[in-house]
Amino acid sequence: MDNAILVAFITGLTAGGLSCFAVQGGLLSASIAQRIEETSPANIRRAAPGKKNAGRADASLQPGMIQPILLFMTAKLVAYTVMGFLLGWLGSLFTFSPTVQGAIQVAIGIFLVGNALRMLNVHPIFRYFSFEPPSGLRRYIRGVSKRNDTWITPLYLGALTVLIPCGVTQAMMAVAVGTGSPWLGAVIMFAFILGTSPTFIAVSWLVTSLGAMFQKYFYRVVTVIVLLLGLYGINAGLTLLGSPISASRVARAFQAEEVVEAVPPVTEPANVEALPLVTGQPLVEVEVVTATPAAPTSAAGSVARINVENNGYSPNLLALPANQPIELHLVTENTYSCARAFVIPELEIMQILPETGDTVVYIPAQPAGKTMEFMCSMGMYTGVFQFN
Amino acid sequence: MTRSILTIPNMICPACVMHLEELEDELPGILFIKANYHKKRLEVEFDESRVSEQEIRQAVTDIGYEIAT
Repeated sequence: MDNAILVAFITGLTAGGLSCFAVQGGLLSASIAQRIEETSPANIRRAAPGKKNAGRADASLQPGMIQPILLFMTAKLVAYTVMGFLLGWLGSLFTFSPTVQGAIQVAIGIFLVGNALRMLNVHPIFRYFSFEPPSGLRRYIRGVSKRNDTWITPLYLGALTVLIPCGVTQAMMAVAVGTGSPWLGAVIMFAFILGTSPTFIAVSWLVTSLGAMFQKYFYRVVTVIVLLLGLYGINAGLTLLGSPISASRVARAFQAEEVVEAVPPVTEPANVEALPLVTGQPLVEVEVVTATPAAPTSAAGSVARINVENNGYSPNLLALPANQPIELHLVTENTYSCARAFVIPELEIMQILPETGDTVVYIPAQPAGKTMEFMCSMGMYTGVFQFN
Repeated sequence: MTRSILTIPNMICPACVMHLEELEDELPGILFIKANYHKKRLEVEFDESRVSEQEIRQAVTDIGYEIAT
């Protein structure tokens, strides 16, 4: 499974489900209200903060309520999948350079961190990180939720949730645009909403059963998860932008100091050699082949190879000869993760690799002592070239 | 027609906006209602011959919100 899809699913399962419920839970309540009325003389009361018994329903979820919930969730899943398709299509109309992608990631991260700070009530200004649907739309949705049919209303309300996405959903919509692919955008949104579904249903049950007690912890959990996702997004964006303050660079700076002594000096290049690495990580076979007359088809001075795997790049630390162009072979074999979207930000190189194949990227001659990062387009998998 | 602006300190998320605006369906005589999460305010225009400000305040507190005096 592509890691981006897995991340979307897990985001939905955690922060997405909780955050979506805060915004869209009222619509689900409206969907099941009629069924609750049929099974209990009392109506469900809406959850509201600050009051001891607020949000406590007089009837917990019962088997008869499963049908409207499933209809609601199915309609929501279909609507968001279609929206993901359209957003991905929108993204395909533009070509995002690694710099723009990094900037988008940072923006998404800041948006999530801003939302977390809003939820922590740090300062009133953070309330502007949350978008409200226009009042006319709110009135319309409210009108629909008052209808009295058990089939159409849940379906319609579920579909209408696309008009009131929560903060985490809005961030995921930006990710769908960033994929630049209608189908990948659709799959990302499908995975995300699928992930939110069990949490959404579980939270519905907890809110109706446990009321204010759950509410008390509900926001803390969401806040922490949203904050972590935001910081993760900012770091991934900074990595793509080549910032010196990204976590991977800071970690590498500390590692490099330890390594210098442990690494033997670079020897004269042979036709095929495993060059030593400049960090504390174990030596890996870096196949650097100097171009010889026997390989005249190579326009570059040297040839290097990286295996692009589902969990990253192998090796991810390459020592390359300086002052000569490099012919870099990116070899994929049943690779489905976002590692396939190979990026060298400094050179503005972005290459989508086939699931299986050998793709060549040319790196112009670099001076000795230079280091250059490479990564996937989401900044999740990283690596470094060291020119000696 | 009377217009009141209530400050709701514990309006903690955009979902509260929709909850508060539902009062329009529950109380008679409300001509216009608009909640604003950014300003934590509820703006209500109502017909005093049908509903009093006190009844509106009571309805707001009944669904779990505080009103700043």
